Amino acid sequence: MARRKAASRKRATSARRKPTPRSGGQWLLRGLGGVGAAIGFALGLALASWILEIDRVVELRFEGRRFSVPSRVYSAPLIVYPGTDWQRVDLSGWLLRLGYREQPDGGSLQPGGYEWHPGRLRVHLRAFDHPLRPEPARELTFRLAGGLIKEIEEARTGASVEVVVLEPEPISAFLGENREQRELIKIEAVPPHLVGAIYAVEDKRFEDHYGIDLRRVVGALLANIKAGHVEQGASTLTQQLVKNFFLTPERTLRRKLREAVMALVVEARYSKKEILEAYLNEIYLGQRGSTQVHGVGEAARLYFGKSVAALSLAESALIAAIIQSPNRISPHRQSERAIKRRNLVLDLMLEQNRIDSAAHESARRETLRLAAVSRDTGEARYFLDALSQQLPDVYDAEVLSSQGLRIYSTLDPRVQRSAARALKAGLERIESQWSGSRKDAPPLQGCLLAMRPQTGEILALVGGRDYGASQWNRCVHARRQVGSVFKPFVYVAALEPGGGPVVTLADFLDDAPLEIERSDNPEPWRPENYDHKFRGPVSVREALERSLNVPAVRLGQRVGIARVASVAHALGITSPLPLVPSLALGTAEVAPLEIARAYATLANGGRRPTPRMFVDVVEAGGMAKENRPLQGSVPAIDPAAAYLAVSLLEGVVDRGTAARVRAQGMRGPIAGKTGTTDDEFDLWFVGFTPELVAVVWVGFDDPAPVGLPSSRGALPIWTDFISDVLGQNVRGRFPRPAGLEQIAIDPESGARALAGCPRSRTEWFLEGTGPTTTCPVEAVAEDDGQPGFFRRTFRRLLGR
Amino acid sequence: MGLVTLVSIFTYSGCLTQGIDHTGGRALRVSDVAERGDAARRASVRLVIQGLEADTAADLYLGMDSETELRRAQGSYERAIQVDPTNPYAYLALARHHLDGGDATQAVNLIDQSAALFEAEGLRSPEVNVHLIGLRGWSFESRGPSGEGKIYLSRAATLAPNVWGDGSLSAEELR
Repeated sequence: MARRKAASRKRATSARRKPTPRSGGQWLLRGLGGVGAAIGFALGLALASWILEIDRVVELRFEGRRFSVPSRVYSAPLIVYPGTDWQRVDLSGWLLRLGYREQPDGGSLQPGGYEWHPGRLRVHLRAFDHPLRPEPARELTFRLAGGLIKEIEEARTGASVEVVVLEPEPISAFLGENREQRELIKIEAVPPHLVGAIYAVEDKRFEDHYGIDLRRVVGALLANIKAGHVEQGASTLTQQLVKNFFLTPERTLRRKLREAVMALVVEARYSKKEILEAYLNEIYLGQRGSTQVHGVGEAARLYFGKSVAALSLAESALIAAIIQSPNRISPHRQSERAIKRRNLVLDLMLEQNRIDSAAHESARRETLRLAAVSRDTGEARYFLDALSQQLPDVYDAEVLSSQGLRIYSTLDPRVQRSAARALKAGLERIESQWSGSRKDAPPLQGCLLAMRPQTGEILALVGGRDYGASQWNRCVHARRQVGSVFKPFVYVAALEPGGGPVVTLADFLDDAPLEIERSDNPEPWRPENYDHKFRGPVSVREALERSLNVPAVRLGQRVGIARVASVAHALGITSPLPLVPSLALGTAEVAPLEIARAYATLANGGRRPTPRMFVDVVEAGGMAKENRPLQGSVPAIDPAAAYLAVSLLEGVVDRGTAARVRAQGMRGPIAGKTGTTDDEFDLWFVGFTPELVAVVWVGFDDPAPVGLPSSRGALPIWTDFISDVLGQNVRGRFPRPAGLEQIAIDPESGARALAGCPRSRTEWFLEGTGPTTTCPVEAVAEDDGQPGFFRRTFRRLLGR
Repeated sequence: MGLVTLVSIFTYSGCLTQGIDHTGGRALRVSDVAERGDAARRASVRLVIQGLEADTAADLYLGMDSETELRRAQGSYERAIQVDPTNPYAYLALARHHLDGGDATQAVNLIDQSAALFEAEGLRSPEVNVHLIGLRGWSFESRGPSGEGKIYLSRAATLAPNVWGDGSLSAEELR
């Protein structure tokens, strides 16, 4: 009841209130207020939305993978031992390339330091961090004499060391489009004096502000007004990080505002430690060739050849000093300027009580000792391209350029350098012999590939003359006519004992005019020798040593072209081979890598290796990710036939078309084959020792005459390369299996040479296939009544 | 089949023409050849011995430590081959390593490679042959019990009972 009364009173009061009329100004004010409120609300909404967007961007970048770290490719390790030619293996170059620093003043060596004395090298090897094959840090003394390492000792104990595995060289990296290189570091690994140096010169109140240092902003503003131009900046480390991390380098008020808000968001979201770590990994610190160096980890390697944890106070101050302008204050190019600014940083550190005066003085006195700059010369780029194709598919370009993998390859940097140098010099030498009218021709191209025959490991690969000008990898992708380098496959097919060999090395082949009918041409094919002459019966050995075409075609016909192709495939040729008579002369188009593999099979006693370019892949975190164990090789052809082929190819080098190899002073077991295609379009030389197979190809991308035979074009490049890598005296011996015998023969008739034979040389035979005829003829011991090939040929020639 | 295998083993071991048990119960130990050959060969053999030491240590450890030693051993063998790719002892030790790890496919190729290199260097002594026969038998057995594997292993056990009597070759025995 009471409630009803109250309600009735309220209605009565309300009814008594009458609307009062408003003036026009009031309406305007009220309207403006409403619009203002709406605009304010909209602006607030937009601002909130903008900040939320910034927050989202910041979160995305910070929570996800913050840095693209290119995967690095490392070489095979350098292994040295007493007896190593330390100059040939370029030990001093290795020290420089790995960023070791000379300490001429003696005393205790730091890891990564070395000193030369007459006849002695003392070096403190750094530890090699690898999950499967780590090597400890240790100080060694190498005693040197006569160009060789005589002895290796543990410096601390004097104990003799028999073999030392030196850290693999970083040879290149899979850089992304921005070509940034960095070594990620954890904040715990950063020495406090480096952090102190950076604070001192870049942001002394970093620990106290919230992303923006207002005192510094005001100070900078006043200083700039006084100077009349922009003299001081006021960016905090957080702002610098934001600028590099999220923004473009444009200098507008809008971007500056965005930078400030982002800095506040970053500071609100993340700890100082996280921000500092991101900054230390992100900051730009100079150039190595065309590659940008980012982060203190990479900078420590570039400038001092050491890890960030090992940086001294003076070195830390130098890195802090160059943040302002890494190229203008480059320690490599502007050392005085760099030292001056380093000392300024040290002064600031003292002033801000970050170091004491003793440390300050000592660091100021420290001389600048920089690591030598090892540039990525691009020599290994063709190798890298081929390597990326051999890696499993999951390692695509994006993964390789961002995930900081360590890829340990089979590349031998010294062999690679020799290959690149020999090819370049060889191509220039050929071009220098051209007359003036050819100077306008497109650049002559070439490729050089070196493989270990037992394991298929590729030690060097130069796929062209200049990677910058052409990335086409001729060693792997270019299928070119192979010419006479194919001929040994015909001979192997004829020498293999499967079903009985077609010929022995003492047999004779008829070098006489030959006509072969063709189904696609009414004219028969008439193969000719390079000199258009015919020699009559020639021994199998001589036919290959002189690279005669007609006997090779004849032999191919006897063996059967399908059988020749089958043997070539077994040896390692994967390209399709046309089953035509001219296949015997190498009319097929094959890539140099296939040729190298096929010859490696011969060098390896008939066992075919699988090409291998990497050993393992290690994740950025240090876990082994991919492992490609050494596979050995698989049986491909009869080992004895392979040895006979090697023996023939040794003859090519000793007496035949490749005799120039010996003329250039090479000694020891060397075999090889020249190959020149019609009109000298393609020049090939494949040569091998028991430890190394190398193939050289020279030609134009659009086939055109080179103007030289292979023996004067490709062969000198090979010899130059091999003598540089192995020296003039080659070691080892070719694998000689059981089932072979060496018999003295009469070289003119191929008969077994007995006492009284006026001529004699030894020849290799599969057991039981030696000549049945003898010299002198009267001494026939085991004539089976069947005339031999030589006698058959002679009888035919004489018409009997 | 067994007879064919037996004949092939005798031929393989070179014993058919040279008489039975030339080893006198002895078998190759790599440390016996540590001082032979040129500098590269000696360094390579030294790395093989380091690998065998790591393989021996792997037998003593468990878990991750054993795994680490096994990987270290493989690295040593591969480096031995890098220093001297014609070193037959390196392929022999690597083949043994793979067999110990149960990888017979890898091992067979390496045994053949080793045999070819021993042959090329004229080093196919009875002491070497016993290991080539034994490893081949081990590789057959690894792929499942077979008469062939047993014949090879039995022959190896006859030639060097102290080493091959248990049907396998330890890293310590080869070292």
